[in-house]
Amino acid sequence: MTKRLRLFQYAVLGFFALYALIPVYLVLLASVRSEADLFSGPLSLPWPIDLSTYKRVWFESGFQGYFINSLIISCSATFLVMLTAPLAGFAFAKLNFRYKELVFGLFLAGLVLPAPSVIVALYGNLNRLDLLDSHLGVILPQAALLLPFSIFMMRTVMEDVPSELIEAATVDGASIFKTYWLIVLPIVRPGLMSLALISFLFSWQEYLLPLVVIQDETLKPLTVGAAALQGRYGVDYAGIAAAGVIAFAPVVLLFLVMQRSFVRGLTAGAVK
Amino acid sequence: MQNGRTAFLFVAPALVLYAVFVGLPILQVFAYSFFTWDSGTIRGFGGLENYTRLVADGVFWTALSHNAIWVVLTLAFPLMAGLITASILAERSPRTVRLLSVLYFLPRTIPMVVVGIIWLWIYSPIFGLLNWFLDSVGLGNLGAAWLAEPNTALLSLNIAGAWTFFGFCNIIYLAAIQSIDPSLYEAASLDGATWWQKFRFVTTPLLRSTTLFLGLYAAIEAMRFFDLVYVTTSGGPGYSTEVLTTHIYKTFFLVGDFGYAAALSVVLLAIVLSISGISYRMLRKP
Repeated sequence: MTKRLRLFQYAVLGFFALYALIPVYLVLLASVRSEADLFSGPLSLPWPIDLSTYKRVWFESGFQGYFINSLIISCSATFLVMLTAPLAGFAFAKLNFRYKELVFGLFLAGLVLPAPSVIVALYGNLNRLDLLDSHLGVILPQAALLLPFSIFMMRTVMEDVPSELIEAATVDGASIFKTYWLIVLPIVRPGLMSLALISFLFSWQEYLLPLVVIQDETLKPLTVGAAALQGRYGVDYAGIAAAGVIAFAPVVLLFLVMQRSFVRGLTAGAVK
Repeated sequence: MQNGRTAFLFVAPALVLYAVFVGLPILQVFAYSFFTWDSGTIRGFGGLENYTRLVADGVFWTALSHNAIWVVLTLAFPLMAGLITASILAERSPRTVRLLSVLYFLPRTIPMVVVGIIWLWIYSPIFGLLNWFLDSVGLGNLGAAWLAEPNTALLSLNIAGAWTFFGFCNIIYLAAIQSIDPSLYEAASLDGATWWQKFRFVTTPLLRSTTLFLGLYAAIEAMRFFDLVYVTTSGGPGYSTEVLTTHIYKTFFLVGDFGYAAALSVVLLAIVLSISGISYRMLRKP
């Protein structure tokens, strides 16, 4: 390889590293920049580091509440997905029943469903069920919208469990459910971990659903709160930056710690 | 070993949740689209009225063309970027590969709303990083109000969208490249092929099905993205960044015309389902 080519390749890799990082860096800096330091250029290191913005956003702009709401919604939706998707994925991979292909096809179609299409009717239904302006009104549809991907992924994961193992257990007299619980689930633990992380990430990122369902300030999640702050106080740069960091820090940290699980989950089905 | 009824019980919890909160609403949307509505209540049966109205709706066609442009831009930039970074990374040490692919992937974990907020800021005409950068390298006269001008708004938004997508393409391409038989590269090297020739004549053709997968994935995403546009420009200035989902949202929530919003939803649904139908067929037989 010529030296020039090598140099060019490093330049390309470096360029994209900067593209990926600079926006994040920019927000992190802006969130700790004091007002006096505001005009010293967007990429200069802020000094003194000013954490008061976080305090202000967290306590006064309601982000403590938004954060807790995001946590409640994401954990509950993830819990619902974990309760239902592995069961269904197992049935689609290892059991036989009537209309199996049809039912699986219905879930598969949901993989490409645009959320706004559903919401046009969902809104009225939630209203009739008295679920508007409640966490449950976000959690239930959120989990349902996550199901197609989750079931698809779980079926792929469950297919790798050796059928002999399942047969051996049932021959020994264990019920299918017992086999699933005691033998299958422990084997697919890495897959379950990936699914839990992805479900959590996607619920945490969701914007449209809570935007539509929740009007009550005290029930809103971070995404809705951050967008509203941006809309209302477009010039409070430090505040908006801190809000943004609060909204992405938990999932970015989770991703950095659990990258393998994340990537395995997000690319599930893609690399086959 | 299997008892059909027990097996069905495994699927039932997921199916009930899915049917109530996804399946039923979809059927209702179909039904809604045949009625005329007035701020949230049915006024009467309209037959295909909502659909004929759609044909004459300029905003619908503008929005649809923006979705189409978004597909093309996504194929041109983040997909290419992913392919190139992956081909370069494939020859680097595992540590470099891991570090850079995680770095490239990181933006995808940030909620789209926050992505919108960050880029809104980068493009800001006064405090924006982009104009500041152009200024500091002496190109200040190129500075613009990127998201506030009809000519640049959609393209600028796409660069923000690409920010969250190229790392995903990179990872998918990397996995595909790593499964290419190394002897093909050795043979090419023995024949004196340069890096570019190997990229052009070995890597790219062998990744055809991966490119197809990512292209169709990108096309579907391009039809249904919402958050990024809504948070940054809400479809503006004018209608210059309007897409189908924002048009549906506005028709539904701001105008209250449930019937027309439903008709738009049905059309959007038909488009994504046909794209996925095509992809299913194409990916099945390589």
